[in-house]
Amino acid sequence: MTTASRSKLKSRGIDRSIHLVRDVVDHEIVDAHQLPCGSVDDIELELDPRHGLRPVALLIGPGAWQRRLPSPLAAVVRWLAGNAETRVPWSEIAYIGERVALRRTANELGLGEADRRLGRWIARIPGG
Amino acid sequence: MLELFLGILTAMGGFVEVGELTFAVNAGAKFGYGLLWVAGVGALGIIVYGEMAGRVAAVRGQPVFNLIRERVGFDAGLVTLVAAVAVNVLTCAAEIGAIALVWQLFADWPYRAWVAAACVFLVLAVWVLPFQWIERVFGLGGLLLVVFLVIAMIEAPDLGEVGAAFVPHVPSLESTQQYLLYAYYAVALLSSIMLPYEAYFYSSGAVEDRWKPSDVGRNRFIVVVGFVLGSLLCVALIVVGAQFFAPRHIEPQLPGVVATSVAVHFGVAGLLIAIGGMFFAFAGAAIETALSAAYGIAQFFGWPWGRFRPAHEASRFTIAWLAVFVLATAVILTGVDPVSVVEYSIVFSVVILPLSYLPLLLVAGDRRLMGEYANGSVARVLGWLYMVLLTVAALAAIPLLILTHGGQG
Repeated sequence: MTTASRSKLKSRGIDRSIHLVRDVVDHEIVDAHQLPCGSVDDIELELDPRHGLRPVALLIGPGAWQRRLPSPLAAVVRWLAGNAETRVPWSEIAYIGERVALRRTANELGLGEADRRLGRWIARIPGG
Repeated sequence: MLELFLGILTAMGGFVEVGELTFAVNAGAKFGYGLLWVAGVGALGIIVYGEMAGRVAAVRGQPVFNLIRERVGFDAGLVTLVAAVAVNVLTCAAEIGAIALVWQLFADWPYRAWVAAACVFLVLAVWVLPFQWIERVFGLGGLLLVVFLVIAMIEAPDLGEVGAAFVPHVPSLESTQQYLLYAYYAVALLSSIMLPYEAYFYSSGAVEDRWKPSDVGRNRFIVVVGFVLGSLLCVALIVVGAQFFAPRHIEPQLPGVVATSVAVHFGVAGLLIAIGGMFFAFAGAAIETALSAAYGIAQFFGWPWGRFRPAHEASRFTIAWLAVFVLATAVILTGVDPVSVVEYSIVFSVVILPLSYLPLLLVAGDRRLMGEYANGSVARVLGWLYMVLLTVAALAAIPLLILTHGGQG
């Protein structure tokens, strides 16, 4: 099983991956209620002996996009934002259009946890 | 119809902020009408890109930073995001400092106390007011600056001379240093009119207001009429600089000094109108820059965003705009001169202008994505012409800043 970033995909010259890069990577993700719940920071690929590489999951969160940064910068970001990463199976994708829409809610898929945690504090403030 | 009318007035009233005020009046005081054509070029530029930003938001429901990440990728997008947030924080700091300077005219509190009060006021305004009211209160309040249009007319400029100055030209100056200063002012004035936060805020606002493809006509009308009227305010400030301040050998650095041009004609009432207009314009710009930074961060990382959601449902977005206000206040509390801060923020803005507007140009022109709403030939030609112009300005900005010692000549 491999995890391939945009540049690696391109360098392997995989035609189908070009569409993944253009239409999936770096696109906004919305859940079943159309709530934004991250961007596609990376894609997990699997080597299938019959069909070649095929995508198996979306990778979302600082842990996923840090791998795309130069290493000194990645270390700083890791210190600031942590390296949490959520893996959403490809089968959870409802459709790919302007956004990548998921079949279930962010909560069910473990996405947007930081928002919910902070939201509990903000909700205590009048008007929050 | 009322919505349209309010949209136009809001676009007009929200056009001016402290950087534009300072650069426009000083441009007039230093070079007479020599930079009026730059105001015209800038106005057309913000109309071209503002219209694209609103159209893309209406058709695809996507604001600018969604597009930036999709189209230029994560790395270049992140560089643009960091630069845009830094410029927004600096601009917000300058606006907060300018609000404190304006308030200081009314009571002799220490400057830093007014800065802290301005921060609290802005946070409360964003926390309490719904998005449309934020747009309307500060946009419509900023319309008080129309008093400068009246002053420009009273100062009786030669209208033929003013009209002729809109034809691009370089006036005859005394020395190379003067030409460099002229170029610096041209780049800064262009940047102050085309500040990228205006496009971020406008397109995010269109998504906040849930525009649909059927709003494309309304978008065009608001942008063209609102921004043309807004740029008239900028032209009026240049004329006031040329007609009122230049003969008196005054190069006004402080908003209060600019307001004296109104006080001379209309006394205390005029002074209050001018200062009131400045307060609403600066506060509106401070809010727009703080929200723009938060919009950019949230859109780039795919967080829930928008004032249409309760704060706790977009908590990271909420923390982001609060953090911008706090950071901007901290910058200005160090005692740095707000006018210097705004000069630097405007010059650095021009450096990121091409990166901010290129993804917009690519998406707005892509028929696969925009269908029948893709750029027509006029938008395409103007868009690319401005992209070349902005790239030249971006390359020239920092060298000119150094060569003119930050615009001091």
